[in-house]
Amino acid sequence: MVYVFGGLIIVSFVKQKNVILSKKRNLFVFLVLSASGIALGTVRMIFPYIPSIANTLEKFMK
Amino acid sequence: MNDQLTMRQVVFMYLFISLSPVLRQIPSALAGEAGRSGYLSPFWSLIVIVPLVAVILLLISSFPGLNIYEIIVSLLGKICAKIVIILYMAWIILFLTAKINIYSLTLQFTLMPKTRSDFFMQVMLILVYYALLRGSKTIFRFSEFSLGPILLLIGVLFICAVSRLRTDYLLPVSTINLPSTIKASTNVIAVGGNMIIALFFADKLGISLTNKQKRKFWSGSLFFIVFCFIITIFTFGISGASLTAKLPFPFYITVKSISFFNIFERFEVIVTLICILSDFITICLLFIILMKLIQWLFGLKEREFLYVPLAMVIYYLSYYVSTTQFEFEYLYRYVIVYANMIFQYIIPLLLGLICLVRRKHIKKQY
Repeated sequence: MVYVFGGLIIVSFVKQKNVILSKKRNLFVFLVLSASGIALGTVRMIFPYIPSIANTLEKFMK
Repeated sequence: MNDQLTMRQVVFMYLFISLSPVLRQIPSALAGEAGRSGYLSPFWSLIVIVPLVAVILLLISSFPGLNIYEIIVSLLGKICAKIVIILYMAWIILFLTAKINIYSLTLQFTLMPKTRSDFFMQVMLILVYYALLRGSKTIFRFSEFSLGPILLLIGVLFICAVSRLRTDYLLPVSTINLPSTIKASTNVIAVGGNMIIALFFADKLGISLTNKQKRKFWSGSLFFIVFCFIITIFTFGISGASLTAKLPFPFYITVKSISFFNIFERFEVIVTLICILSDFITICLLFIILMKLIQWLFGLKEREFLYVPLAMVIYYLSYYVSTTQFEFEYLYRYVIVYANMIFQYIIPLLLGLICLVRRKHIKKQY
């Protein structure tokens, strides 16, 4: 799924190129969100059974 | 002008997004915390929901044509407003990821147990993307048109179920049960606080707040309380409080036992459909609010380019937040309910207090 999203991000960038490149803050937000999404997706792909936040909280609070 | 919303649309949206938690979470939470007297809890929540409605109306009428960000900037300054917006973003992300999770778990639990939750999430994100392309007005209008038929359906179900209600499941209730009903009312309050969405869209409600609009807002909150009460009575009266407390989706199981004059049965599919529609609209609304928050935080003018990266972040975060029904229930009961208290009640009440203190200064400005 990370590849599909990666492809969609590239398509989105190409389609919205003028808007994204028109201002530095647009580019910054787009890059930060894309990088966060790809990082989260990559971690999920490498460690598919990583414990969730709810699970960790439950163990920690017991 | 096409972007303008009416108070009626906001109130209908509030009721529409409250449908799924009222049908899914509230009955089991009330039964678990207050036992058979849990159906009295919705009335206690009035004590908190009424001041919230008053504060929201005060803020909207004191700052006509401004949204929550602009109101916070006027009251606390830009830096504090940005900090509050970051906190709201964290809350909305948590709420949104949990909502996507429970939507897929509901579909797995009710209709398609063999399908993987990834598939449901992907379908939902595609639908949300399509809905967002049409604009927020379309989503508000959808909830406006759909709420009436849905409430009519629930009314028919209730009429069919009246003969099955068992009074021994509901009575006796004594004063000993009152403290537990008060404590359990936090679950109703956490959903009733969704009314805060009005502040996010306050800039689209027009310049002046008429008495008619105020009446609609008040009646929306009262309707929510009555609706919670009816659904809880319905569930407790048929399934019993002890069974309701143990089930993940008690209203669904309750409706399974209902038939329309022994002719039509299996209405539970309709209940699932109602919950899915409500979840879909909630996810769309939370996406819009999240994008508004990002726009306010970074001072952006356009937001269409954020759809895909934001969808990716939310999709993967939903796996990191919770993955199973048990995890979701734990997260909802111990994190989301209390987070809702802070962001739906404490922050708006603080804003209302500051607004009251600085009222003279504000009136001079507008």
